[in-house]
Amino acid sequence: MNLMAVKLRRDLRATWPRITLMVVAIAVSLTAFSAVLYTWSVVSRETEQAYLSTEPASATIRFFPAVDADEMAAVAAEARTRPGVIEATGRTQFTSDIEVNGEPRDLQLQVFAAAPDDRLRMARFFPRERSWPPPPGEIYIGGDSLSLLDVSVGDAVTVRTPGGNEPALRVAGTVYDPSLSPAPQEQTGRGYVSIASLAALGEPDVFDQLKLQLGDSTPSRDREAIVAAAREVGEWLQREPGLTVREVQVPEPYAHPHKGQADALLIALLVGAAAALLLSTVLVANMLNGLFTQQIPQIGIMKAIGARSTRIGRLYLVMTLLVAGAATGLALAPGILISRGFAPNVFGFLGIESASLTAAWWTIPAVLAAGLLLPLLMALVPLVKASRTTVRAAIDHRGLGGNPRVATGLLARLGRLRVNRGMLMALRNTIRRPARFALAVGLLTGAGTMFVAGMSARDGMNAVAADSSDQLRWDVTVQLAGPVSVDAVSPLVARVPGVAQVEGWTVTAASLAGPGELPLTRTYPDQGHGRLAVTAVPAGTTMFRVPALREGRWLAPGETGAIVLNQVTLANTDSDVRLGDTVELSVDGEAGSWRVVGTAQERGATSGAYVTAEGLADATDQPVLSNTLRIVADSQDEAARQAVADAVDAQLTGAGVEVRSAESTGRQEASTGGHLEPILVILLATALPMGVIGCIGLASTMGANVLERVRELGVMHAIGARPKVVRRIVVAEGVFIALASCLLAVLPALGVTAALGALLGNTFMYAPLPYRISILAAVVWTVLMVLGAWLATDAAATRASRLTVREALAYL
Amino acid sequence: MEHSIVVSDVVKMYPLGAGKVTAVDHLSIDIEQGEFVAIVGRSGSGKTTLLNLLAGIDRPSSGTVRAAGADLGSLSESGLAAWRGRNVGLVFQFFQLLPTLTVAENVMLPMDFARKVPVRERHGRARRLLERVGIADQADKLPATLSGGQQQRAAIARALANDPPILLADEPTGNLDSSTAEAVLKLFADLNADGRTIVVVTHERDIRSMVGREVTLVDGRVVQDGRTEVPA
Repeated sequence: MNLMAVKLRRDLRATWPRITLMVVAIAVSLTAFSAVLYTWSVVSRETEQAYLSTEPASATIRFFPAVDADEMAAVAAEARTRPGVIEATGRTQFTSDIEVNGEPRDLQLQVFAAAPDDRLRMARFFPRERSWPPPPGEIYIGGDSLSLLDVSVGDAVTVRTPGGNEPALRVAGTVYDPSLSPAPQEQTGRGYVSIASLAALGEPDVFDQLKLQLGDSTPSRDREAIVAAAREVGEWLQREPGLTVREVQVPEPYAHPHKGQADALLIALLVGAAAALLLSTVLVANMLNGLFTQQIPQIGIMKAIGARSTRIGRLYLVMTLLVAGAATGLALAPGILISRGFAPNVFGFLGIESASLTAAWWTIPAVLAAGLLLPLLMALVPLVKASRTTVRAAIDHRGLGGNPRVATGLLARLGRLRVNRGMLMALRNTIRRPARFALAVGLLTGAGTMFVAGMSARDGMNAVAADSSDQLRWDVTVQLAGPVSVDAVSPLVARVPGVAQVEGWTVTAASLAGPGELPLTRTYPDQGHGRLAVTAVPAGTTMFRVPALREGRWLAPGETGAIVLNQVTLANTDSDVRLGDTVELSVDGEAGSWRVVGTAQERGATSGAYVTAEGLADATDQPVLSNTLRIVADSQDEAARQAVADAVDAQLTGAGVEVRSAESTGRQEASTGGHLEPILVILLATALPMGVIGCIGLASTMGANVLERVRELGVMHAIGARPKVVRRIVVAEGVFIALASCLLAVLPALGVTAALGALLGNTFMYAPLPYRISILAAVVWTVLMVLGAWLATDAAATRASRLTVREALAYL
Repeated sequence: MEHSIVVSDVVKMYPLGAGKVTAVDHLSIDIEQGEFVAIVGRSGSGKTTLLNLLAGIDRPSSGTVRAAGADLGSLSESGLAAWRGRNVGLVFQFFQLLPTLTVAENVMLPMDFARKVPVRERHGRARRLLERVGIADQADKLPATLSGGQQQRAAIARALANDPPILLADEPTGNLDSSTAEAVLKLFADLNADGRTIVVVTHERDIRSMVGREVTLVDGRVVQDGRTEVPA
């Protein structure tokens, strides 16, 4: 029988509440860490695999006018023989209003078309129930568009083709397309048809896109190389087949359109995990230090009867390993379960169907190492210190600091004031062991900092959404098929009931290019992500708020040749554009020179540029026309907005003005919210474990403090302290620690909030998040800590108050 | 007769505030093997410090302490622990039994540390020692369930675990009622009769009738060192 093993077992049993608390504390933080690690590994792997499975195009070359299908087939075949081209195929797409079984939908359908004999070797999508192509008269719908559009397989959907036909197509099946962002986030449905289907409807049999996979034998990941190769192909297309290249689109190679959001999300997760791990490290050190300190008298006795330091060290090493092992064992399964519950949400955000939710093999040893080695590492210093305690030090140990500290001395002077003596004693007690006080306060400060910073970053994100919403100073956007004179259509629109005000705008896709170069953009295959939109601001508008300027100035009224670029455009442009530079902007195939007079910061916006309506007219050598109507409605109720949109659509169509779409701005708000919400959820989810860890840390610290001072509390009883007085003092100590940590968390919270906002904002929207400090979070945390301190110390205080003098003085 | 303990010109000073206090002041004392010595004196006279020096718990500021054949000043902390385990039995005023081990296990623990007694004999030896101190029936109980006198007897049994030649006791009866204290002192006398060297720090005047020598300390110095007559 090994008596040290017996002692260990009984010590663990005797101190089971503290041991349990310690195991739970480590297990909670390790669970959070492992869940994030598992999710990280699964999301990274599955996202890459899913996106790569589509064999995404390295570049898309758009033509205007479009090219006949047969000619495109020949061009693609020829392109495949060119150096650096691995694969090439022709495609086209259009966006249309949609009716389902004759019922109009508020949303639009983005229709992708490919040749019936396209073998889908690149820019792939995956028909589910049927194979490619759908027969003429049928359409496949994106799987994630079904619920958005409220459509089912077998339903008839009516779309408006570019040629003006409105065929009813039967939904024959669904498609999984992981190269696109999820339809619900974009508030746009996706459909897939064969070009033969369109031809059967009398549509011209044409393609306006040549998709290219570029590289040597495998697709390149070097964007510069891709741009060079795509430009070379574009120039060849203009030179030899004589096609008119409108734009070369080169998105970030192998990067999902939501990579920025996904990165921000995973960064938020990693920050949370790192914080949880860091805090658990401090917590482990704190708790073990308390446990070992409590054992010092026994260590002294063991040494007095012949135990060596190594023997005692081994005992506590095994104790630490048992605690760490139990916590690690407890954390493994919940970590996996949480990851399996959480990862599908991330995949939903990315529009990915995962093949497997099994975490990478290396995550298990990583979690085991973190769970077993980290507590051991943290315990090493207190462990060695405790096992080296001399008999003399153990005899002198009374569970309090040996010499009065400077801080205690300062507090002693407070005794001259008329402060409640019990409270004064509690205040002094909190800093009697400076190291433990620092650890406890450090732990709570860290947890509070992360909680407030996480919630503040959430407020920053919400501010972005609110700001985006505030910029929408109109209720309905009507997209026209072509430019019209606003003077001609305004009276028509103004007659529609519910319309309060109407303005004519021009918002059009454009591309930036160097002199003599083909226009180049970072536009993704959905023609949305990465697209540069130029907005022509009408004179005297009341529906526009000038965005915050980073540099330079805003456009002067009627100014020509001047442009303001936002930060996303500056980040995405392939040349180093600065204030005062002249840029080549290609709009509708017309290139013109513009001087950058200002740069704007628009968080939550996509790539954008602003010119005056007069400036655009001057550049395109046309009168001031509009392709977009912005309407302020009498009521901002969503139903009223949508009713106005429908009525305006009907009014204009009836008057022979072709309307591409008419929708409430609520749709745009929903899209912005859809992009931000997952990150908001993550930030909240990473803040909450901090609260749990903080409360456990406080409970453990106060438990240790009371246990160490059992003799002293006995003496207090002996000299007449009533139980409730002892209890009040002990509880007050906990509250003092909690309040001190809240005060100390103020400055770090301000700094971490700024750092987290910069990290998330720059990753997600090329600008730091607006700086917001969540007062609510600070109040919630303070209340949580004070209440937590009260509850955490109450049990210890009750035990302390019930000790008899005899028990206390005999305590070992 | 051979000296069991030799204390030569020992000074022990402790830091106190900005200065130092001298607890033991140029003290020399020899204790022969088999002696039963009582160290007496008022509070603060240096009794406990002297005992701690003899046990290797404290190290002298100057001077030397030799006990059971070892120069304690030359031993490391670890060496002192091993030396204590084999040569010294310590008895404290507040018993200091490990609370999570039974009485018998507390007695066996020093045997585990010193490895002087073969493993298979440890349990039996613990039982015999507990029988000797009169609490064999309490062997499997936890210390908290025992009375003060029983706990002190258990502590004495633990001190005897490795059959040490020297027993050092610091106020062993200070926390006991008079009748129990008398029984404990009688136990010490019996152990001394076996030839063991025993040094007891005490306030008890009654012990004079049992010890062979009484050393009185004042301000860390020996002011009286007299042999007493032990009744037959």
